[in-house]
Amino acid sequence: MVARDGEARVVAVVARPLPYYTIELEVGAEYAAVEPGQFVMIETRHGLEPYLRRAFSVHDVALGDSGTRIELLGKIVGRGTAALAAARPGERLALLGPLGRPFSPPAAGPLALVAGGVGSAPLLLDLRRALARGVRVDLFYGGRSAADLPRFDDFRALVETAGGEAIATTEDGSAGRRGLVTEPLAERLARGDYRALHACGPMGLLARLAELAAAHGVAAEGALETEMGCGFGACLGCAVPHVSGRYALCCKEGPVFRLDEVRW
Amino acid sequence: MSPPPALAVRLGPLELPNPILTASGTFGYGLEFAHLARLERLGGLVTKGLSREPLAGNPPPRIAETRGGVLNSIGLQNIGIESFLADVLPGLTDLPGKVIVNLFGYELDDYPRLAERVEPCAGVAAVELNVSCPNVKRGGIEFGHDPEVLERLVAAVRGATSKPVIVKLSPNVARPWELGEAAKAGGADILSAINTLLGMSIDPWTRRPRLHTGRGGLSGPAIRPVAVRVVYDVARRVGLPVIGIGGIETVDDVVEFLLAGASAVQVGTALFRDPRTAERLVDGLAERLAALGLERVGDLVGAVRPWEEA
Ligand SMILES: Cc1cc2nc3c(=O)[nH]c(=O)nc-3n(C[C@H](O)[C@H](O)[C@H](O)COP(=O)(O)O)c2cc1C
Ligand code: FES
Repeated sequence: MVARDGEARVVAVVARPLPYYTIELEVGAEYAAVEPGQFVMIETRHGLEPYLRRAFSVHDVALGDSGTRIELLGKIVGRGTAALAAARPGERLALLGPLGRPFSPPAAGPLALVAGGVGSAPLLLDLRRALARGVRVDLFYGGRSAADLPRFDDFRALVETAGGEAIATTEDGSAGRRGLVTEPLAERLARGDYRALHACGPMGLLARLAELAAAHGVAAEGALETEMGCGFGACLGCAVPHVSGRYALCCKEGPVFRLDEVRW
Repeated sequence: MSPPPALAVRLGPLELPNPILTASGTFGYGLEFAHLARLERLGGLVTKGLSREPLAGNPPPRIAETRGGVLNSIGLQNIGIESFLADVLPGLTDLPGKVIVNLFGYELDDYPRLAERVEPCAGVAAVELNVSCPNVKRGGIEFGHDPEVLERLVAAVRGATSKPVIVKLSPNVARPWELGEAAKAGGADILSAINTLLGMSIDPWTRRPRLHTGRGGLSGPAIRPVAVRVVYDVARRVGLPVIGIGGIETVDDVVEFLLAGASAVQVGTALFRDPRTAERLVDGLAERLAALGLERVGDLVGAVRPWEEA
């Protein structure tokens, strides 16, 4: 599918809770075919700042009488994400997308979904797709504290209705199991519970997952978050070290990579 | 009704259908964006910098946003001249705009060799020399920072090609016009200005430079006043046609550069936030000329009004 540069109309901004939020956007019909892991470049500026658009994974998509809507899940960390959280219903924002290589549909389950904080953003669509195909899915969702597991309850409800398990971990023990998300995952991988793994989160987490997946022979993919200047291959700013020795472009060859393709 | 204003411009030996070009390194090799921009509207397209061999570029992070601008240290990643000529150039030949290849090297001799290589290629309208590269034989001093070396470099390229030679000036020197004069003495036809400003940014929380290489090149609206000043000085003192570059985003910006003495402009960083910026400027400039009652772009070139009228 070819990316289009168009306009989105803001429908609503919802705190999930802050500093996390979702923004619902009315978009073009091309988003009906968006695939899990794909992203958009969205204008966030109020006045002159920030200058560049920001990359967001498509978090959810809905087709209704009023057209196609997508949701983005964000965390207020800087000027761009703060400006977007302050967007008003009815506002129009330039939107380029859908962009990038998606998660591959899991050939065989069970599938482990691994999220680090706001890295859960692209995994909701991926979860919906896997469940629609009858694939068994368990979710491992880690954050620093209870406040860093945006939408965990919504994820859990979906996973559990399909007979899966949703496991939360926090570093401070304020929710779920205390520790890192890789710990319960490693136990389950050692039992041979999964055939595939999809993840999104900080680079450190993905690097550790790459090791774990390799050790247990599980096909693993991760959505990477790099700085992006343009999102469409023009600036060469989004370099990802590739095992071949060259740099891959996160916006074109990714953002989803096989974890064994990346030089960590 | 008067006829619509003519956008065509002539810069010495180089004729362009309009004065709006895309800047090197900000639009890949052009073809990738055929679905996002109407390439056929452009006055021309300057390729990503090309070297004799492909280059992998710098480790990430390579790009960071600053106030009104962008810092980058892409490290001149490119597919190499051979791949460009074999795989990309054939796809660009149907465009009315001119294809200008941006060339760079790490030894003086790389430049004439690259120019020689594109000499027989009818699809290449001109060469632009990126001389903001460290000269390995001279302890890493940039070619474009040393008038003597620059004159020799341009003369060597002049001897290797009959195509128009554009020399892209660095803003990171005290007197850019001296480099412009050196380029002219070496046989340059056109000057372009400016390349990125050397900059740096540090994350106060992680204490790390925002770019892996530490320093990088600053571009975008933040650098526009510096670019206008360099264009103004160079256009008045050197007497070669100038292509203005630096933070251009609106028709006002284009007009500002024309008034300062530029005969054409290149749009760079603005394409990242809106890939259609350049084509919008083509339409916008035509409307502006009509609104001003002017017939030609040239009527604005160098037409800045001094405070003390003679
Ligand atoms: C990401 C990036 C890559 C660039 N690569 C090149 C290059 O390969 N060769 C070159 O001569 N200039 C390069 N430039 C400089 C631009 O062509 C231009 O001179 C500069 O960005 C100022 O214009 P702007 O503010 O409109 O971007 C690059 C700039 C950016 C932002
Ligand atoms: S973000 Fe610009 S090339 Fe990938």
